[in-house]
Amino acid sequence: MNIHEYQAKKLLNQNGIKIPKGKIAYTANEARHAAKSVSAKGPWMLKAQIQSGARNSGHFLEPRAGQGGGIRLVKSIKDLWSEADSMLGATLVTQQTGIRGQIVSRLYVEAYTKVGFTFYAGMAVDRTQATVTLLLANTKDNDINTIAESDPEHILRLPIDLVVGPTHAQTGKAAEFLKLQPRSYDSFYLFLRGMFKTFVANEALMIEINPAGVMKNGDIVALDAKIRLDDKALFRHPENSRLKDDYETEPRELKACKYGFTYHEFDGNIGCIVNGEGVAMALTDLLKRNGSNIACWLNVKGGVDRDKIAAGIKIIATNPRVEGIVINILGGFVRCDLIADGIIDAAAEVGMNIPLVVRFEGTNRDDAENVLKRAGLPLILAYNMEDAAEKIVQSVQESE
Amino acid sequence: MSILAGRHTRVLVQGMTGTQASFHTKRSLDYGTNIVAGVTPGKGGLIHLGLPVFNTVKEAVNETKATASVMFVPAAGAKSAIIEAVEAELDLVVCITDNIPIRDMLEVKNILKNSHTRLIGPNTPGLMTPLEARLGIFPENIHRKGKIGIVSRSSTLTYEAVLETERVGLGQSTVIGLGDDLVIGMNFVDVLQEFMQDDETEAIVMIGQLGGMFEEQAAEWYKNCLNRKPIIGFIAGNSQAFSATVGYAGDIITRGKITAEDKKEALSDAGIIVVEQINRVHEALAKLNLATDD
Repeated sequence: MNIHEYQAKKLLNQNGIKIPKGKIAYTANEARHAAKSVSAKGPWMLKAQIQSGARNSGHFLEPRAGQGGGIRLVKSIKDLWSEADSMLGATLVTQQTGIRGQIVSRLYVEAYTKVGFTFYAGMAVDRTQATVTLLLANTKDNDINTIAESDPEHILRLPIDLVVGPTHAQTGKAAEFLKLQPRSYDSFYLFLRGMFKTFVANEALMIEINPAGVMKNGDIVALDAKIRLDDKALFRHPENSRLKDDYETEPRELKACKYGFTYHEFDGNIGCIVNGEGVAMALTDLLKRNGSNIACWLNVKGGVDRDKIAAGIKIIATNPRVEGIVINILGGFVRCDLIADGIIDAAAEVGMNIPLVVRFEGTNRDDAENVLKRAGLPLILAYNMEDAAEKIVQSVQESE
Repeated sequence: MSILAGRHTRVLVQGMTGTQASFHTKRSLDYGTNIVAGVTPGKGGLIHLGLPVFNTVKEAVNETKATASVMFVPAAGAKSAIIEAVEAELDLVVCITDNIPIRDMLEVKNILKNSHTRLIGPNTPGLMTPLEARLGIFPENIHRKGKIGIVSRSSTLTYEAVLETERVGLGQSTVIGLGDDLVIGMNFVDVLQEFMQDDETEAIVMIGQLGGMFEEQAAEWYKNCLNRKPIIGFIAGNSQAFSATVGYAGDIITRGKITAEDKKEALSDAGIIVVEQINRVHEALAKLNLATDD
């Protein structure tokens, strides 16, 4: 689960990290009040609170929101009000939101903070080493994604002990790597300790402070912040579960979540229901080999029953991109006859009029196949994944 | 022979009295698995499925000489259950439990470093040695005893690989699902080492996927491996679409951008036979000209 910048900053600040003074606003009037309370004379930063990076280089779909991106510097209260008014309710598109963008429903109003040198600081679980890793990079010439992809050796990576946290030796090495001035050392140490404390106390999977900046007096300040929390640990952090913003999640994904499924959308035309991420990936690869692309996959995970499969089909069928559905379920203890019942339930409810390919492996498969054949649905049975991919692509092409 | 668990392995089930655990324990017993006891705190003294239930792993080990455990404990209690098994010095823990918080697993990994206990999982279908031991939730009807070792990161693709061996009349020595979680116990290298030393295993199928560097580690290890047996490798996640949406964004910043293509290249370079589609594994197996298993 991701949280908003202002929420992330609050968590970081509670653990000793300096942040610019800021306040959240849902209306232009609130933004004006917020501005006055964080800085008497300005200037101010107006920051769209959507859970996406690259907000600054993004653009709004609505002309009324103007040419600017999702982060704007304003110098007068009057400008602040009109800029806030134009951004609120408008749709911000960034490299990460996809073409549909994300509606801006709240703005974070911050006192503009002057900094000199800026850098990237991240903390994430490195699954290969099963450790927490601290990442630092000088982002003067390139953004962090470019560095990570094309210049990975320019990122300093330090393994952090889960109990001890970043040591003096490590923070010293990090300060040297970033070529910080000695007067920043103390603040930098507290900054890294603060990141670590936030990471551990909230059971984060990832924290990114991009950028962090060095103020005139040498202090380190977090100018932006992104935190991803471990969903599986939220039961231990009820206060953090409340930070979830349902508007950030695609409605179908939200619905899938309620059943304990995971759901992802892509830009193809075939919807897949699978149990397991590996199968989802392998099936997507196969669709591609057959000249088609995936529209979405729904991972019903592990055991599947009648109600789950019916719910899954209903979710997928509401995706307008979907022109055909593949159900590929196998393994553990799948009762194929129950899945067949679920398919019939859902088909009756949504009025299945697009090709449906079903492949399953498990107990009572023969019964299930007979049930499906008798139901008179427009469905095709497949004997393995490769066969399923070929059949769905072919029948979608034929139905066009 | 087989790896890690076979007919003589004395197995206990942690959390045995739960619904899912009861269901699978019964199936494993019917399959012939040498399950000797269950552990559920507070239910010691009970007889469940004809087996004694103990309050602690230590008690169960003292009474039954069990050396391995299968775990169905709910996520919130899984960390302490694994640690309990490590402290009782079990050789093998197979953790089926899903949804364990990552921090708990990081702590578990730290503890495992100083112990001889091997952990499979969590969030895995477990370990299956056909006709000998079923430690987990494998559908036993698809398995046949034989000479192919299977190790997979993806639970469901494990079954797919099993079906592929079947297509060419081959069976499995042992099948292991490494687990679908971000932080897991045993990895490819750990399992491959076992397979290389196992008399019964003649070839191995490894199923990898996008994310992490476990396949690269395996490739590196295989390069320098003496007396190596053939490995057939498959990697899921070729489509470009995944890098942004799926999996774990932390991978890119912690390791740099690694694609499925990179992984396949690493495997090929090391001499692993890479297949492009999971349903072509049987063709690669056929080319090895192994005698069929009956």
